[in-house]
Amino acid sequence: MKNTSQNYKSAIKPVWCPGCGNYAILKSLQKALSELEIEPENIVTVSGIGCSGRFSHYMNTYSLHGTHGRAVPTALGAKAARPDLTVLCVGGDGDGLGIGGGHIPHAARKNVDLTYILIDNRIYGLTKGQSSPTTPIDKRTKTSPYGVYEEPLNAIAMLLAYDTSFIARISSLQMKEMVEILKEAINHKGFSVINVMSPCVTFPVLGYDTVRDLIKPIPENHDPSDKLKAMQLAYDDTKLYTGIFYKVQKPTLEDNLNKQIEDAVSVEDNQKVTVEELLEKYV
Amino acid sequence: MEKKEFKSDVDFTVRIGGEGGDGVISCGELFAKAAARTEFHVFTYITYPAEMRGGFSMIQIRVRDWTIYSMGSEVDYLVVFNQEAYDNTISDLKKGGMIIYDPDAVEVDESLDAVFFPVQLTKLANEATGYDLGKNVVALGMLGSLFNISKSVLQKLIKDRYGSKGTSVIEKNMSALEKGYVEGEKQSIEKKFHLKTENEKPTYMMLSGNEAVALGAIAAGCRFVAGYPITPATPIFETLTKLMPKVGGRAIQMEDEIASISALIGASFAGEKVITPTSGPGLQLMGEQLNLASMLELPMVIVDVQRGGPSTGLPTKTEQSDLKFAIYGTAGESPRCILAPTSVEDCFYQTIRAFNIAEKYQMPVILLTDQSIGYRKATVKIPDFSHIVEIFKDNVLRSSLIPSAERMEIVTRVIPEKEELEGYKRFKFTETGVSPVSVPGMEGGQYVATGLAHNEVGKADYSPKNHLEMTRKRFKKLKYLSKAFDQNPPEFYGSVDSEIGIIGWGSTEGAIREARYLAEEKGIMVRHLHPKEISPLPEKQIRHFLVGLKQIIVVEENYTGQFAHFIKAKFGVHPIELHKCEGSPISSREIMAVIEKVARITDEEHITEL
Repeated sequence: MKNTSQNYKSAIKPVWCPGCGNYAILKSLQKALSELEIEPENIVTVSGIGCSGRFSHYMNTYSLHGTHGRAVPTALGAKAARPDLTVLCVGGDGDGLGIGGGHIPHAARKNVDLTYILIDNRIYGLTKGQSSPTTPIDKRTKTSPYGVYEEPLNAIAMLLAYDTSFIARISSLQMKEMVEILKEAINHKGFSVINVMSPCVTFPVLGYDTVRDLIKPIPENHDPSDKLKAMQLAYDDTKLYTGIFYKVQKPTLEDNLNKQIEDAVSVEDNQKVTVEELLEKYV
Repeated sequence: MEKKEFKSDVDFTVRIGGEGGDGVISCGELFAKAAARTEFHVFTYITYPAEMRGGFSMIQIRVRDWTIYSMGSEVDYLVVFNQEAYDNTISDLKKGGMIIYDPDAVEVDESLDAVFFPVQLTKLANEATGYDLGKNVVALGMLGSLFNISKSVLQKLIKDRYGSKGTSVIEKNMSALEKGYVEGEKQSIEKKFHLKTENEKPTYMMLSGNEAVALGAIAAGCRFVAGYPITPATPIFETLTKLMPKVGGRAIQMEDEIASISALIGASFAGEKVITPTSGPGLQLMGEQLNLASMLELPMVIVDVQRGGPSTGLPTKTEQSDLKFAIYGTAGESPRCILAPTSVEDCFYQTIRAFNIAEKYQMPVILLTDQSIGYRKATVKIPDFSHIVEIFKDNVLRSSLIPSAERMEIVTRVIPEKEELEGYKRFKFTETGVSPVSVPGMEGGQYVATGLAHNEVGKADYSPKNHLEMTRKRFKKLKYLSKAFDQNPPEFYGSVDSEIGIIGWGSTEGAIREARYLAEEKGIMVRHLHPKEISPLPEKQIRHFLVGLKQIIVVEENYTGQFAHFIKAKFGVHPIELHKCEGSPISSREIMAVIEKVARITDEEHITEL
């Protein structure tokens, strides 16, 4: 039977608010997976905490809804242990840039082959409207009643600084493009991060209108291996460029771990050492 | 029988002390390895200075013709490289013991009742190598001569250890070793003990407690480790990172302990047997994910090599103070199992057991060792590989076998049968609380594992009934585990008529056992219980142990008496608590002193009764 989006839907109905940008992301992901024809049982979806954390409940995959901020290292563990699996990871701006921000550079350094969907609505939605690491300056929220005084983080610039091997941005308003970018990210060998600008209808710090006004496709002539140019696009705060900022090939975590095994095994006449032989070395 | 164990024909202790960078430890380790090739048991204890270089460090080696339970209280042979080492350790020298020292560096008190053996270690090293370095190898040669160790054994050990440093280093070490042997022969000193190697087929490995944990993990089928360096657990991680690729496994260093245990959750979810080594401060960081592992019912083994706390505390010293955190730490009530190995050999076998329990009961298992056991080296019996049973589907939860060199089982988590995948319920309510768990790649086994309260299929469910039922399900596993522990033969020693009972846990086993022997020599009968299962406790066994006791002493290396609190709460007894909180292991003498005091109290009670 041909895979359809339906095959990737779990029996659980989403609890997101009507009009939430996350619906578009969920649909796009399920479509991308069906088009790539990856069997649901060979996919692991890990999500953190927050509205985006519920993502894993709605996927008919091996899904893990873990703790706040730890989705990336959890997904990394699954991929490192089982390189044969397709591993997806989903989190929001609070999960990925706040509490879990410290894990991202290390996943990038290791270049673990997984796709991380970093959803950004610029607010803490599930806890009902507190400021997040990407809330714009001066914005009044429940925990910034006199206005946010911290500068918002620039996710794309950070990812570039970490030398993440695949960096893209898209918005919930661009489903068609999102499907294509997701497919490319999943096919990419290495750590691929897609920053999805996703409006929140209940706490509209990032509303549909804002997204519509700001998004602009990355110029067609952009060379995705040009890091400096990508950085320039990332820092242009008059626009939210969408598309692939940066893409390079380098060995993945799995490549490196497999190489360690191959090297160790080749020393021992292409045989894995048995436990018995290993213990004898400690006599 | 046990009496005989205490009376040994061969039983001596060598201590080597010097400056941090003197090569004291390698000298002692090579000597210990040579001794381990005989039919004798060997046990070592090391203290390092916390600094990278400099400061006083020492290694103590005990050799015996029976199982060794502790490092011993007194020293028969003392080798000192400098004055500080002499000053720090001379009070532990046995009457009539031997002191080997460099007369150019150490001033000795000649009025002591001791055999003096001056050797110009630095001068001889200089003659052999052209450097001050190498005096440790000169000392090693001397010890070799003193104990009749075949020179070829030490030569091979040196080659194995320094082989990677090139031929010139080897040659220099060989001539330093030769100098030591020659110097040893010159002195006409009685050779009391002979460490000549007889049989060829090895029966023992020479391991540190930390190495024993690493090898135990591999023997248990673990092929995934994620960790973060922390003293004193780092050697487990280092050993595993080195060995994993050789057996087709994977080792990754993460950015912190939270990431390490997160990677474990991912890898265990993906079906692997997983481990992370850490110490107290790391375990503390792992709290949130330990909780998640318990909630998702994922097998994993966490090793806490305890060190002195709180906070950064005493990174290189020993303590048993993470017990309550290990049992109760984390938000909400999340079942996990705690095991505490009692010796280096036990580290190997309890690690295998930890994996078996984790896999069988689908919960995190914390292995509580400590610095003193982790850095101690001792002989470990190689398991008989023809007696290993592999169990892939064991939902019977019959009594869990305690792995030993003679017989052990390797357990892997129970997976759903084909028909169970129809409308698969990952968290299905069962008699024992254990539900078959699917692993990625298994068609139809897809499910969501969530840290939210969830129902049998894994869907979030906050209803009061479901919350109670699911909590009950997770704790049922602990109940069955406790029952399984109670099936094992009782683990206490000493006379059933004793009125004094002594309870310890973890690395204090040897010291308590020797204290019991000392007490028995003086006619004081003591019963000793040392559960390796700390949580859940084998309750029936403990109740059985407590029957007829007038006084109970609980021994532990912490300030507040954490295990005693636990025993008091569970069994309603009022033990006398013996705490040591100085960063060093408790000795049999210290325990014996308390036993004697308690015996006097019990005697007085008898008199009153009369």
